[in-house]
Amino acid sequence: MTAARSARYRSPRHRQSIVRAQHFGLYLFLFTAALFFSIPLLIMISTSLKTAAEVRAGSVFALPVEPGFAAWTRAWGEACIGRTCEGISAGLWNSVIILIPSTVLSVGLAALNGYALSLWNVPRAGAILAALLLGAFIPYQVMIYPLVRMASTVGIYGSLPGIVAVHVIFGIPVLTLIFCNFYKGLPPELIKAARVDGAGFFRIFRRIVLPMSGNIIIVALILSVTGVWNDYLLSLIFAGRDNLPMTVQLASLVGTRIGVPEYNVNMAATLITALPPLLLYLLSGKYFVRGVTAGAIKG
Amino acid sequence: MTQITIRNAERSYGALKVLRDVSLDIADQEFAVLLGPSGCGKSTLLSAIAGLDDLQSGEILFDGQNVAGVEPADRDIGMVFQSYALYPSMRVRDNLSFGLETQKLPKADIRKRVEWAADLLQITPLLDRKPSALSGGQRQRVAIGRALVREASLFLFDEPLSNLDAKLRTEMRVEIKALHQRLGATFIYVTHDQVEAMTLATRIAVINGGVIEQFATPEEIYNRPASLFVAGFIGAPPMNLIPAVVRSDAGQAYAQLADGALTIPGLTAADGTEIVVGIRPEDLALCEEGEAADLTGKVVVAELLGADTLVWIEVAGQRIAVRLAPEDADRLDPVVRLRATADRISVFDAASTKRLELTR
Ligand SMILES: Nc1ncnc2c1ncn2[C@@H]1O[C@H](COP(=O)(O)OP(=O)(O)OP(=O)(O)O)[C@@H](O)[C@H]1O
Ligand SMILES: [Mg+2]
Repeated sequence: MTAARSARYRSPRHRQSIVRAQHFGLYLFLFTAALFFSIPLLIMISTSLKTAAEVRAGSVFALPVEPGFAAWTRAWGEACIGRTCEGISAGLWNSVIILIPSTVLSVGLAALNGYALSLWNVPRAGAILAALLLGAFIPYQVMIYPLVRMASTVGIYGSLPGIVAVHVIFGIPVLTLIFCNFYKGLPPELIKAARVDGAGFFRIFRRIVLPMSGNIIIVALILSVTGVWNDYLLSLIFAGRDNLPMTVQLASLVGTRIGVPEYNVNMAATLITALPPLLLYLLSGKYFVRGVTAGAIKG
Repeated sequence: MTQITIRNAERSYGALKVLRDVSLDIADQEFAVLLGPSGCGKSTLLSAIAGLDDLQSGEILFDGQNVAGVEPADRDIGMVFQSYALYPSMRVRDNLSFGLETQKLPKADIRKRVEWAADLLQITPLLDRKPSALSGGQRQRVAIGRALVREASLFLFDEPLSNLDAKLRTEMRVEIKALHQRLGATFIYVTHDQVEAMTLATRIAVINGGVIEQFATPEEIYNRPASLFVAGFIGAPPMNLIPAVVRSDAGQAYAQLADGALTIPGLTAADGTEIVVGIRPEDLALCEEGEAADLTGKVVVAELLGADTLVWIEVAGQRIAVRLAPEDADRLDPVVRLRATADRISVFDAASTKRLELTR
């Protein structure tokens, strides 16, 4: 009886120490999990900082003895891809050239679509959304062949417009759904008020809806940028020889079978290629949380 | 300057009928107030008049022209939304001028109108703030301002003063009344505040469950409510409603109450008809010595309201409010005898809940 009671009514200090122990356990678990998932990344970084001789001699887990950026400079400007030895830097420009129109177009069109579908009485909006959902979740490999035929019919197969069009087509469904969901949360009275004020579809979009969409645009941009930047298959097929982006160049570099494989250079090239989306995530985290409609309505 | 006719308007959300066969004739330059309990369809009706919501059936005419398919912007209206709906990304100034810019008004005119509205609504110091940096009452005034700058011929106000303090509300009420007279525009105004309704309206439409119960002048609504609902909704406290049965004695009909009888001049209903007798608290008075009482009851509680005192009296198990002068209320016996002003009594048919006309 007394034992049961004392177990139930613990002293505050006792309770505090239990809380502390629970926190410790939690952080220990999180730390281990984080470490586990970052092992490949850490190995890549450490290997990329080694010299070629060191890579050949030591274990993958060994830390670099004399860390240096020689492999990084080679990967950037000297490594041989096929017969040209210009490193991976040539692909960077191609990646950027593909990235900018693809993301701007798909995010812009998706925002407009989402706005129309959620805030205006589009006939059969439900059916359109269902179709988009289908488009977003069918594996895109299924659609590659028809798309190749369509692109070559229109005459953009193997060109910059070709790859941009394909990226936009694949980007729009999921981005539209994201915008649609976001805009459904806006108070419908805002649109009504603007209609009374005489503003039309595009004016309301530009003056009222877009200024409130900052955060969701950034979320959509992140998704779109990572998707386009990390894409390999679509670029390989649709971009044409002159527009191959970094990812494709990287694959060729890593896959080159001439001479001894330079693991340190490969790792450095991979890191360089992965860097832009990584930086984007790190820099834009705060936009995921901020509220946007503050002040629009009562209460 | 707009005369509005609504004919047999129907609107439902799924199975829920929000407007049922609503017909209204609002005259040019009228100040029509929509009054009714929460959820009765006032905002829905306003939306339909603005052209923001389609009706399922029925029609709306502006000056005799059917406006179905006419965009809200082309109806020449200014509207205050119940939820304000201020544009969150614009400063107050831009909120006010947005509609004028779409109308492509000259810059100087826009400036003048915005300043006029800001001055009228006492929001000049707030012009450069975003709506998120305003209090509820300030947001509400910005919303009113956005409607007023349009200088429209029809203004639709959905509870525009609900969030203001008592003093500001009284001031704004006077301003709105003055504006109505000066602008010569038609106003349709939703409110829950009966004082607002009584003082502002040229006519009040009392709505209940999507049905217009009565559309008449404030005096008419107050003195001759058309139905039990109106009688029980208007007035603070509302009319005393006492169930009774019609009896006749030597050809003279009278109302048989639970305890006592009430002679109602002009009552012609058939013997045995169940009715409800409605008497306003101020139409009851204490009996003089030796006078025959209409109602007798025990005093329950007295509430001093300032100018007069509200005395609650229990008559045959029912609480009845009586409005008395404070000095009379102070020296009440525990049991009081009351007399009703005969020609101010309302009578309703208990079955149909409609007013029974008396032949006077
Ligand atoms: N979009 C909607 N979908 C479904 N039901 C709705 C919708 N809008 C309004 N309603 C319903 O219609 C009815 C009338 O709504 P309305 O907003 O017109 O009421 P109101 O008279 O303005 O009430 P209040 O005084 O509380 O503002 C309510 O029962 C409400 O629940
Ligand atoms: Mg409402």
